[in-house]
Amino acid sequence: MAHGVKIVEQSCRGCVNCIKSCPTEAMRVIEGKVRILSEICIACGECLRRCPHRALLLEEDEWDYILSKRPMTLVTDPSFCTQFSWPPIPELMTQALFELNFEPIFDEYEAAYDVTALAVARAIESSSDNLKPLISTYCPAVVRLIQIKFHELIPHLVQVESPLETSIDLWRARSKRRDPVTLVSSCPARIAMVRSPVGRDISSAEFAISTSKLAREVLIGSGDPSKKVSVDHPFRAPRWIAWAKTGGESMHVRSFSSRPIKTLEVDGLRNVINLFQEMELGKLRGIDYVEARVCDLGCIGGIGNAESRFLSRIKIDNMKIDFNFNEENREKLESIYDAKIWSLREKIVPIEQMPLGEDLAKAMERLKQLHAVYADLPHLDCGTCGRPSCRVMAEDIVKGEGSLDDCIFRLKERIADLSKEIYDLSKRLVHTMTPEGKS
Amino acid sequence: MSEPLVLELEVKPLDFLAAGETATQFKETLKSLGLPPEICRRAAIVVYEAEMNIVIHGGGGVMRLQVEEDKVTIMAEDEGPGIEDLELAMQEGYSSAPDFIREMGFGAGMGLPNIKRNANELYIDTAPGKGTKLRAVIYLNKGR
Ligand SMILES: Nc1ncnc2c1ncn2[C@@H]1O[C@H](COP(=O)(O)OP(=O)(O)O)[C@@H](O)[C@H]1O
Ligand code: SF4
Ligand code: SF4
Ligand SMILES: [Mg+2]
Repeated sequence: MAHGVKIVEQSCRGCVNCIKSCPTEAMRVIEGKVRILSEICIACGECLRRCPHRALLLEEDEWDYILSKRPMTLVTDPSFCTQFSWPPIPELMTQALFELNFEPIFDEYEAAYDVTALAVARAIESSSDNLKPLISTYCPAVVRLIQIKFHELIPHLVQVESPLETSIDLWRARSKRRDPVTLVSSCPARIAMVRSPVGRDISSAEFAISTSKLAREVLIGSGDPSKKVSVDHPFRAPRWIAWAKTGGESMHVRSFSSRPIKTLEVDGLRNVINLFQEMELGKLRGIDYVEARVCDLGCIGGIGNAESRFLSRIKIDNMKIDFNFNEENREKLESIYDAKIWSLREKIVPIEQMPLGEDLAKAMERLKQLHAVYADLPHLDCGTCGRPSCRVMAEDIVKGEGSLDDCIFRLKERIADLSKEIYDLSKRLVHTMTPEGKS
Repeated sequence: MSEPLVLELEVKPLDFLAAGETATQFKETLKSLGLPPEICRRAAIVVYEAEMNIVIHGGGGVMRLQVEEDKVTIMAEDEGPGIEDLELAMQEGYSSAPDFIREMGFGAGMGLPNIKRNANELYIDTAPGKGTKLRAVIYLNKGR
């Protein structure tokens, strides 16, 4: 499964800084090089933040190739619009991108995000109490986290497509164009969704590049668009801009709800994990909808951004955003809704982890072995063995994927034992010789 | 039949945060054994509520998880004040938790009834001044 993280082997120093940051313990350092267990990686990007040697990067498409294919159609994450010194207004962004011969499809976003919010609002209204709170599927790392670690929460995931995918579908339907689309993403998870989507068989986008790369190109290649396009004061931004930061989605969904709903907005990986643990224990009754984002402050906090997430947030907060839907467009919205273009085509399924053994008896045996091996390890979780913790090390050893000698403390003990043995041996004399004074 | 697998954890009094962690840890263990999600879920709820009771009412104690080929047993033992009227304690909504605990969102009186609902068998050995021993059994091949 694609995870959107690229390992640059030459740059990896095997320092193990990264492996402890991984929420699913998906990283190992083996023979001095980092590896990612792709089947349990949620593509959150935490490890990229931790690597001091730039050995972990976003797995984006070749930038030169994308440039060579211009005019290229772009679907950018809303957070892209917050990366610059000018206010996050789509008209300005369009101008700057046009100058570089890119064609953003911002015109489709309004309908796509509106129909997404409407679909979520209706899903909440028609959902039974035991499936509440429903959980947003907007953050693909959250979806993967649930697929891998929180299987009981899968029925809570709202079966609604990413509005970015929906935007592309709307654009293709309207323009009848078939040329490729490049997704501009601020995180590995969205990039991964282009390669291995969840809930549909293939993504509507063909390529993926990072926000920071395109933002740099804009900064170098096009002047400040606010000098060419005039925008009225106070600055207004469409509703979908608000989705770039935590809370925007909930505002939008609430505006389409026919009765008041209780939403909970949570961001940051640790918070999201705590929240899901509490949810699995049945502690979140009375909440209708959870908007969870693994990045701090939401998508503006993604590792692939160029701009400070704090400044991005201020830029969004300074915009006038009208969440009241203009009823004149109701008919059009309902027809898009009826076309079900917003719906995930396939059910989200759990990603099963291999149990320790084929049946319970064997698994129990393995677990006992694991406890025995673990008891022999120093419990320092130092990471030098290339595993995030002594427990994971014990697990790897029992699975046959590691050796006790990978633990330097064990190795030191063995060397000490060995040198003692060598010393003792050296004291032993040849049996034919018994010099005086020795017995 | 192989030997049962036993996991044991000490529970400190009034350590509210740790309670969720024990439940999560025991659940991870059950998952790694390949037990059905429904069993893991029920066991986690029993562990959580039983441990919470040790934390809030029992003054600290021990939690034990025992896995055998046909069942999972959860044991919670403390040497706290014990339960005076067990029948009353088993009723939904009954709680003796003091105000400061209710203000923290605990003490809704649903713990013991929740344990009963999720376990196939429940035994509680308690008397005032003698502490409380709870044992809940979840069978792998039975519903609840
Ligand atoms: N381990 C225990 N030690 C002493 N009293 C207990 C213990 N467990 C439960 N109780 C008593 O039983 C009552 C009901 O327990 P429970 O249904 O879990 O509700 P709650 O914990 O919310 O009060 C508690 O309020 C308490 O008086
Ligand atoms: S942090 Fe990880 S990826 Fe980066 S150099 Fe160290 S071991 Fe390699
Ligand atoms: S992207 Fe996240 S889940 Fe994947 S290896 Fe890095 S830290 Fe772990
Ligand atoms: Mg209780």
